[in-house]
Amino acid sequence: MSNVSKVPRRSLFDRLFEPPRIGAMAPGAKIIVYTLLLAWSAFVLFPIYWLLITSVKTAADVNAGPFFIPFVDFTPSLHAWRELFIVDYADTLRAYVNSLIISLAATALAVLVGSMAAYALARIRYQPNLITILIFILTMTAALFAVFSYGVDWRIVLVVGVGIFYFFSKAVASRVKVPLANGDILFWMISQRILAPIVVVVPIYMMFQSVRMLDTHLAIILTYAVVNLPIVIWLMYDFFNSIPKDLEESAQLDGATMIMTFREVVLPLSRAGLAATTLLVMILCWNEYLLALFLSTAKAQTMPILVAAMNAGERGILWWSMSVVIIVMIIPVVFMAIVLQRYISKGVLLGAVKG
Amino acid sequence: MSTDMSSASETDTLTSDAKRLSIRKMNKHYGDFHAVKDLDIEVEPGEFLVLLGPSGCGKSTALRMIAGLEEITSGEVIMGERDVTHVLPKYRDIAMVFQSYALYPHKTVAENIGFPLKVTGVPLEQRNQAVLDAAAQVQMETLLERYPRELSGGQRQRVALARAIIRRPSAFLMDEPLSNLDAKLRGFMRAELKHMQHELGVTTIYVTHDQIEAMTLAHRVAIMKDGELQQLGTPAEVYTNPTNLFVAGFMGSPPMNFIEGTLSQGSIQVGNDKIFLQGAQEGTAVTMGFRPEDADVVEAGEGRFDAMVYTAEMTGDLTLVTVKHGQSILTIKMPKDFVVDYDQKVGIQFDSGLSYLFSTSDGSRLKAIVVDS
Amino acid sequence: MTSTQGRVENRQPGYVPADNSQPPSRRFRFNEWLDGHARQLFITPAVVMILIFSIFPLVASLIIAFSRVRLKAGGYQVRFVGFKNFSKQIFGSEQFHFLGTFTTLTFLGWVVALSASAAILWWMYRYITTGFSIIGFIGRMITAIVGLGIAWMFAGTFFSGNPFGTLGVTLFYVFVGCGVQFIIGLGLAFLCSQPIRGRNFFRVAFFIPMMITPIGVGYVFRMMADTTKGPFSPAWQWFGLNDFAWAANPWTARIFIIIGDSWQWIPFIFIILLAAFENIPRDYVEAGQMDGASNWQIFREISWPQVMPVAVTVMLIRVIEGFKIVDLPNIMTSGGPGIATESMSLHSFFAWRSLDLGQSAAIAYLLLFVTVVICVSFFNLIVVNRMRRI
Repeated sequence: MSNVSKVPRRSLFDRLFEPPRIGAMAPGAKIIVYTLLLAWSAFVLFPIYWLLITSVKTAADVNAGPFFIPFVDFTPSLHAWRELFIVDYADTLRAYVNSLIISLAATALAVLVGSMAAYALARIRYQPNLITILIFILTMTAALFAVFSYGVDWRIVLVVGVGIFYFFSKAVASRVKVPLANGDILFWMISQRILAPIVVVVPIYMMFQSVRMLDTHLAIILTYAVVNLPIVIWLMYDFFNSIPKDLEESAQLDGATMIMTFREVVLPLSRAGLAATTLLVMILCWNEYLLALFLSTAKAQTMPILVAAMNAGERGILWWSMSVVIIVMIIPVVFMAIVLQRYISKGVLLGAVKG
Repeated sequence: MSTDMSSASETDTLTSDAKRLSIRKMNKHYGDFHAVKDLDIEVEPGEFLVLLGPSGCGKSTALRMIAGLEEITSGEVIMGERDVTHVLPKYRDIAMVFQSYALYPHKTVAENIGFPLKVTGVPLEQRNQAVLDAAAQVQMETLLERYPRELSGGQRQRVALARAIIRRPSAFLMDEPLSNLDAKLRGFMRAELKHMQHELGVTTIYVTHDQIEAMTLAHRVAIMKDGELQQLGTPAEVYTNPTNLFVAGFMGSPPMNFIEGTLSQGSIQVGNDKIFLQGAQEGTAVTMGFRPEDADVVEAGEGRFDAMVYTAEMTGDLTLVTVKHGQSILTIKMPKDFVVDYDQKVGIQFDSGLSYLFSTSDGSRLKAIVVDS
Repeated sequence: MTSTQGRVENRQPGYVPADNSQPPSRRFRFNEWLDGHARQLFITPAVVMILIFSIFPLVASLIIAFSRVRLKAGGYQVRFVGFKNFSKQIFGSEQFHFLGTFTTLTFLGWVVALSASAAILWWMYRYITTGFSIIGFIGRMITAIVGLGIAWMFAGTFFSGNPFGTLGVTLFYVFVGCGVQFIIGLGLAFLCSQPIRGRNFFRVAFFIPMMITPIGVGYVFRMMADTTKGPFSPAWQWFGLNDFAWAANPWTARIFIIIGDSWQWIPFIFIILLAAFENIPRDYVEAGQMDGASNWQIFREISWPQVMPVAVTVMLIRVIEGFKIVDLPNIMTSGGPGIATESMSLHSFFAWRSLDLGQSAAIAYLLLFVTVVICVSFFNLIVVNRMRRI
C-alpha cells in the first residue's frame, strides 16, 4: 500500500493548461476560448445592434455624432418606421410582397426541379451522346449569330434551327456515339454555379425584353430558380445517395411507380436535406441584388433594390430608413431559420461537401 | 430428389395460388465480372428454397434478378406459366423482405403494412381490414400506430413480414432477413418464419450465408460459390452426401475436418501414420474429410493417426477437442465429461464409412473410400 | 428501372396484373404512361431550364463579346468585330482599367516576375519529366499561361508601385479575402467544437450575418467605418484620424470591403467546418488524449486530416462565389477611389450601364475565363491530389 508514490504537485502552467480529465478543458484554455468567441460575437453582433438603434434615431441624432444607448444618449423615435410603414407603406409593402412572392416561388421551383433532377441522376443511368450535344450547341451558336449579327427574325431562326438540329442529330449522332455518364451531367449542372450573374444577365435581359416579360415576377422567379438550381442539385444528389436503396426497391416491388416512390418514400425521408437546401436557396433569393436590378424596373422591384434606393436623393443616405428596411428584411429569414432549424443541425451541408 | 418438400405441398393450406418458379440459365455480368453463372433452379410450388453461400458468391444478385431489381444479362425467369424475365418488378407478383427490413421510417406500422395495397389503389376500408389480418398473422395488431424506430428488431422483422404477406403474392423473396437479429431472437424467428411459410404455402426463396438457417428452414438448399451452383438438394443430402470439397467444408458447425496428402502405394502419409484408400488413382493429391461428430479422440497410437491437443472447449452439451496435425487444425466432438490436457499426444479414430475423399486439385468428390489397412 | 446498376429496360408498359379483371381506368393508364416516361420526366425540366437560362445566354454573351452593339430604334444593331473588345481590355485603351497601369518594372517587379516565371516553368518541367498525358499537359499549360500572365501583371503593377486594374482587385478580394475568411472560420469552428457551454448561442450568433442582404452589409459597414458619425469615431478622434477618409485611400478602401465581405461570409465557412469538426468521432480525439497528445498535436494529427477534405471543398465553393463579388464595392465605394476597389463584375456592370454591351460581355467573359481556369486548377491540382492521398 505504502509504495504508491505521491502525485507530484503540478506547476501553475500545468494546472492552467492541462485538462483535469479527458473530455474536459483546462481552465487556461477555457479562458482563451471564451475570450476569442466572445470577441467574435461582439464583432458579429455590434453592427446589428448599431443597425437596430440607428433605426430609432432621428436624422439629428445620426448626424450629431455617435450615440450608443437609447434613452440614455438619445431619445428613440419611431419616425423612420412610421415613414416607411404609414407614409410610404405602398412602396414598402409592394417591394415586400414582391420579394416574398419571388423568393418563395423561385425557391419552390428550384427545390422541386432540382431535387427531381438530383434524384434521377442518383438513381437512373443516363447515357447522353456527346455528339448530339455538340450539334445542339453549334446549331444554337449559329442561330444566335444569325439573329444578332444579321438581324434575321428569331422565329424563323428558331424553326430553321430546330430543323437543322433534328436533321443532323438523326444523320450523324445516330451513327457516331460518344456516351457520357451521370457524373458528366451532374458536373455540367453543378458547374453552372461558376457563371457569375453578370456573364448571363445581359442576354437574359434581352430575352425577356423581346418577349415583353421585363419587370414581371415570372421573369425574376425563373432566373433565380435557374441560378440556384446547381446548389439544389448538388446538395440533394448527395442526400439522395445517402438514402438506402432498399426502401425504394421495396416500394417498387410493392407496385409503386417512380413518381409515387419519389413522393411517398424519397421526399419524406429527405426532409432534413430539403429543409437545409430550402433555407439556403431562400436566403440567396431573398438577398439577391444584381439580377433584380437588371430585370425589374418598377412593378417587380424587390427589397434589396429598396435598400439600395435609400441612397438616392440630395439628402444623402437615409440611414434611419435604410436600417428599418434591412431589419425588416432579416425577419422572414430568421423566421424560416427557426422553422427549419431542427432539420438543419443534422449536417446536410456537410454531407454534400464531403462527397 | 426432394423428399422433404412433399410434406409442404401436400398440406391443404393456401397452396392453391403457390406458383412454380423456374430459373433457367440465368447469367449476370458486371462488365468483365461474371457474378452469376448459368444458374438453373426449378422451385416447386410452395417450396422453401434456400440459396446458401459465402458473401460475394452471387446469391443476392441472383435473388435481385428474380425480383427484377437487377437486369438479367441472359437467361429466363418463369413464374407459373408466365415469362417474367423482362417484366417490371411491380408486375411480378412477388414480395421481398430485405436484410434491413426496408421499413419506411416516416410511416406507422399500419401504413407500412398497407403500403403495397395503397400504391395499387385498394380502397381504404378494404385496406384497413387487410392490414389488420396481416398484422394479426404476425401478432403485431396491438402496435399498429407505432413508428419503426419505436420497435425492437424482432418486431420490425414481423412488420416486414406482414408487409410481404398482405398482398398474397405468388412468391416470397427473402434476403438474409434474420441476420440483423441477435442470436436468441434469430432462433425464435427462424421457427416462426418456417411455420408461417408452411401455413401460407407460398413459394419462397431465401438467401443466407448461415448454414444453420439453411439446414433448418429449407426444403431444399442450393449452395453457390463464385456465381456457380455447387449442389442442390435437401439439407440431409447436402450434409451427408456433399458433391465437392466446398460444399463439404461449408456445411456443418464446426466444419468438416480435412487432411491433405498424395496417394502413393495405396495410402496417404499422415505424420508417421498411413491411411489406406481404395479406388483412387496412384499419385493424385487427395483431401480426406470427416465430420467432428464422426471421430473420436483415443489413446495415442490407437487411432488412425496421432496428433497433439491444441485446446479443449466445453460448450455445455459436449466438449470440442481441437488437435493440431502438421498445418491442419482438426476439431472433434467428444462427450461433455471428456477431459484432456494441452499438448498431449492423442490418437484420432474415425469411421471409414463416414469419411469423404476429394481431389485436392479441383475439389471434386472422388469415388474412393478409406479402408482399414 | 429505378436502380442504378440494375434496370429492366425492356419493359412492358400497360401490363395489368392478372387478378385485375376490369379494364384499366384512364387514370391508371395515365399513371402508367407517366411511369414509362419517368426517365425523361425527372430530368427534363432541369435540363431545359439550364439550357434556356444558362447555356443560351452564355452563347449569346459570347457573340456579344465579339461584337459592337449599338442601340437603334426598336432594338439593337450588332456588328461582328472579332477580338477587338478583348484586345481593347488587354492591350488597348482600357488596359489601365482591366490590368493596371504599366510603366516600367522596378527592381522588385523584375524579381517577382522572374522568380514567379521560374517557379512556374520549373513546375511545368517537373510535370513533363515525371509523368505525361496530353490532357494533363494541355490543362497545365493553360494554368501555367494564366499564372504567368497574372504574375507579370502583379509584378508590373503592384510590385512596381503602379495601380492595378479590376483583375488585380478581383484576385485580391478572392485570395486575400477568402484566405482570411478561411483562417478565421476554421479557428472559430475549432473553438466552437470544444466542450464548452453556450455553443448554441455562438452557433446562432455567428450565423446571423449570412442572413443579411449583401447590399445591407455594404451600408452597415459604411456606417461602421464612418470616421465622424460612426460608432468608432471617438476612437478615430483619439488617434487624431478624424479627418482621415478611408474611402479615399485605395488600400484602406479595399481592406474595408474585405472586412465587410468577411463579416458576411465567415458564417458560411464556420457552419460547415463546425459540422465537420463535430462529425469527428469522439473516440479518435479521446484515443489521442489517452496517448498523451497535446491539444495542438490533436488538432494537427487527428482533427485536421478529418476536416481537410471538407475544408478544401468549402474553399472551392467560397472561391467560386468570391469571384462574383459586386454588391459590396458597389455600395461601399462605388468602385472608388478611381477604380481602386472595382471588381470585374462591377467593371462589367458599369460598362453595361454606359451601354457598351460589347465591352461588358468581353469583361464578363474574361472573368469567366479566369474563374474557370483558377477553379479547375484548384480542383485538379489540390482537391484531386489530396483526395488521392487520403
